[in-house]
Amino acid sequence: MTNTPARASAGAASPAAERLDVVIARLLTVGTYASVASLAVGVGLLLAAGRSPLEGGPALDAGRLVGDVVALRPEGFLWLGLIVAIATPSARVAASLVGYLRTGERTMALVSILILAVIAVSVIASAAEG
Amino acid sequence: MAVGLLMVAGGAAAGLFGSLLGLGGGILIVPLLTLGFGLDLREAVGVSLVAVIVTSGASAGVYLQRHVANLRLGMTLELFTAVGALIGGLIAFLLSEQVLAGLFAAMLIYVAVAMLRPRADAAAAAGDPPAPEAEPAAPSLGVDLGGPGYTIRRFRLGAVGSVLAGVTSALLGVGGGLVKVPVMHLVMGVPLRTATATSNLMIGVTASASAIIYVLRGEVDPLVAGPTAIGVFLGATLGSRTAHRVDLRILRWLFVVVLLYTAVQMVRRALALA
Repeated sequence: MTNTPARASAGAASPAAERLDVVIARLLTVGTYASVASLAVGVGLLLAAGRSPLEGGPALDAGRLVGDVVALRPEGFLWLGLIVAIATPSARVAASLVGYLRTGERTMALVSILILAVIAVSVIASAAEG
Repeated sequence: MAVGLLMVAGGAAAGLFGSLLGLGGGILIVPLLTLGFGLDLREAVGVSLVAVIVTSGASAGVYLQRHVANLRLGMTLELFTAVGALIGGLIAFLLSEQVLAGLFAAMLIYVAVAMLRPRADAAAAAGDPPAPEAEPAAPSLGVDLGGPGYTIRRFRLGAVGSVLAGVTSALLGVGGGLVKVPVMHLVMGVPLRTATATSNLMIGVTASASAIIYVLRGEVDPLVAGPTAIGVFLGATLGSRTAHRVDLRILRWLFVVVLLYTAVQMVRRALALA
């Protein structure tokens, strides 16, 4: 499974690896700040409404998400922020997969696919239990 | 409203302490939510996992931008941490609260003892890898995962350690750096600075693999997770900008006292649940 590009770009030594680092870094930064912004709005709305976090919030309901956000309900923004936070690492792996496929690094592309597969198993296993 | 502000403030304190001492905020979030706000332990772990994802994201981006983190090594190892997190996330729902509280207390005591030990030697602190081992470096999975100035050793042991880190993260709601950094630095020969940055990069995938399980099983309350995550994020951001101005010696001792006190409370909780 050894291939030349992988050896040539150990760490962040090659220009291709450095470019990928920068792309992934931007993705992580944007995802994190988008998540924090949504959470901050949700917390602001929660506090402004005088509600206690301990009163118990709703479980995740994808069908209600858009409606809650449009109606400026704290739950909508909080769930949106949490989903973006949890999805950002997977998006990072997907972006890495594209990068490795472009540079022909088959082993690292396979590693990326396997990571996404493990995350998919988490979703499927939890959905099946739920 | 007062409880919401208290939760933000408590999260900020956890994030600040964790950031100043290089531990991440996760280790204090679960005690904060269980002992401070009376949450169920599993629910607190779910919230903590989300908070550490949010907190680690921004700093992981900075580490990558500066090419301090090793993306290739991080991705390869996080395949194993993700598997561990999946296993841990499923096991967490089979264990009693009593056992989880006991495990958490054990982790707190371990961290407190580790903080009392003499710091890493000067070479390690300077970011140099440990002295070369007799065992030759070998490509891992057929790919050279090393970086400038270092090669990866004992990959299989590192992979096993990564699975353990993933299980720990999923069970206890921490980033897993307590396991990953020593494994990468001492076992695999990665320079300390790179190991720390790469561990931070890996937190997202590791924690999200198990956070998904907690969310889909209804163990994450958005009303708690939001204020806590915002607080931890703000505290960690402040900590990363002020760490160089703070005398960490007193803070370290204070933190050890807090950890031991929290461990005692966790043991009492475990016994009360019996």
